[in-house]
Amino acid sequence: MVADGAPGQREGGMKLPLKARARGMSCCLVCHQLVTMPAGGDPRHCPRCGARVHTRIDGSLMVTWALVITGTLLLLPANILPVMTVIYLGSGEPSTIISGVMQLYHAGLWGIALIVFVASIAVPVMKLLGLIILLIQIQLRVPLIPLQAMKLYRVVSGIGRWSLLDLFMISILVALVDMGAIAQVTAGPGSTAFATVVVVTMTAARSFDPRLIWDAYDERRAAVHEERDTRAQEQQRGAPGNA
Amino acid sequence: MDQGQHRRRKTWQRACHECDLLLLDAVAPPGQKLVCPRCNATLHRNPKNSVHYTAALSLTGLLLFVPAATLPLLHFSIFAFGGENTLFNGVMSLFDAGYYWLSSLVLFCSVIAPLAKFLLLTFICWGSAWALLDRPVGLAVRWYQHLKEWGMLDVYMLGVLVALVKMSDLGKMEVGPGLYCFAAMMLVANLTTLSFDQESIWSRMARRASGKVA
Ligand SMILES: [Zn+2]
Ligand SMILES: [Zn+2]
Repeated sequence: MVADGAPGQREGGMKLPLKARARGMSCCLVCHQLVTMPAGGDPRHCPRCGARVHTRIDGSLMVTWALVITGTLLLLPANILPVMTVIYLGSGEPSTIISGVMQLYHAGLWGIALIVFVASIAVPVMKLLGLIILLIQIQLRVPLIPLQAMKLYRVVSGIGRWSLLDLFMISILVALVDMGAIAQVTAGPGSTAFATVVVVTMTAARSFDPRLIWDAYDERRAAVHEERDTRAQEQQRGAPGNA
Repeated sequence: MDQGQHRRRKTWQRACHECDLLLLDAVAPPGQKLVCPRCNATLHRNPKNSVHYTAALSLTGLLLFVPAATLPLLHFSIFAFGGENTLFNGVMSLFDAGYYWLSSLVLFCSVIAPLAKFLLLTFICWGSAWALLDRPVGLAVRWYQHLKEWGMLDVYMLGVLVALVKMSDLGKMEVGPGLYCFAAMMLVANLTTLSFDQESIWSRMARRASGKVA
């Protein structure tokens, strides 16, 4: 079931798992073929599927930061501007995402209210927060356990698509309820902002390279081991002199 | 020393795409999956008869697409007035109202990407049998991998259900025949995603290439 663990690489008494980068190889992210990289860290084309292969996604942290910041800024108009207006028998006012959820809740449809809340409020916010945590964790070398960071990464990259739920619902209602003065549903400008948030966050999760989590972790461990080794050496050197 | 290193390098078969760990296994045994021992990423799933199942399922999906896209999904009426919803007319209304970006996103995620996934998989599964089509099939696999997460039939289905419940107190809501086809198509799309294994396509192509050389 589980693959054989790669034999450890011993370097200066320290045991680190052997990574493809250390052997000048890389994994094609499209077809998962193991590719030998040219010297100097240049990208190349995968011999099997033709996609570009980088040892790590090019400029991953910068691009992800840029997209995360864009997404966070767009979250404001997406939540403040109305996404939809339901006019029923001549009356009705524009509703934002949050007021839409509240309306559902007050109508007693708390199950649906919960679904819409999770999909259109909790998911985008969690996604942006999760990515920010991952980015900060790598850049400031916060000692987060990598397996937990990976869990966060997988949740963040898996849930993003569900936030389009509200927009699909709007597109359905706009066509369905179109009876002039009696009942009509129209979209609002907030929906455009929200659509952009979803696309931006999905692209951000794609541009984040999880291998950087492990790079940061291994570097941190290597530093700790090195420190321990030098201290041990100093003690050894000091010991005969004392005796 | 140099020779020994060379021999050892040849045994590396795969690197984890999420933590870069080198592994000695390339593929999972049939019916099982290969998990990264370091980060628990699923490296490879090996469903049995992947190519045949995927070919059959994606063809079914294509057939279901026709009624799902043309028949009304929902029917809503207040007094004598009524409206219908198909996959396309929601997009059209949004486009007419000036929401170009939103309407193209909805069109892409609910129609274009799912349809393209079915078409690409059909082409990949049937086309990988001919040496002539090696390059286009490789390109199709690449496109499929990029498109994969943008096909959102399941999300759209949930959107339909939310709309159904939300509007049911305003007027009379009826489920159209298109919705049953749509639900079936969604199910088939998810099964297709599960049964498709690109490794079996690549190995099929590699086997043929080595057979021709020998
Ligand atoms: Zn490749
Ligand atoms: Zn891994």
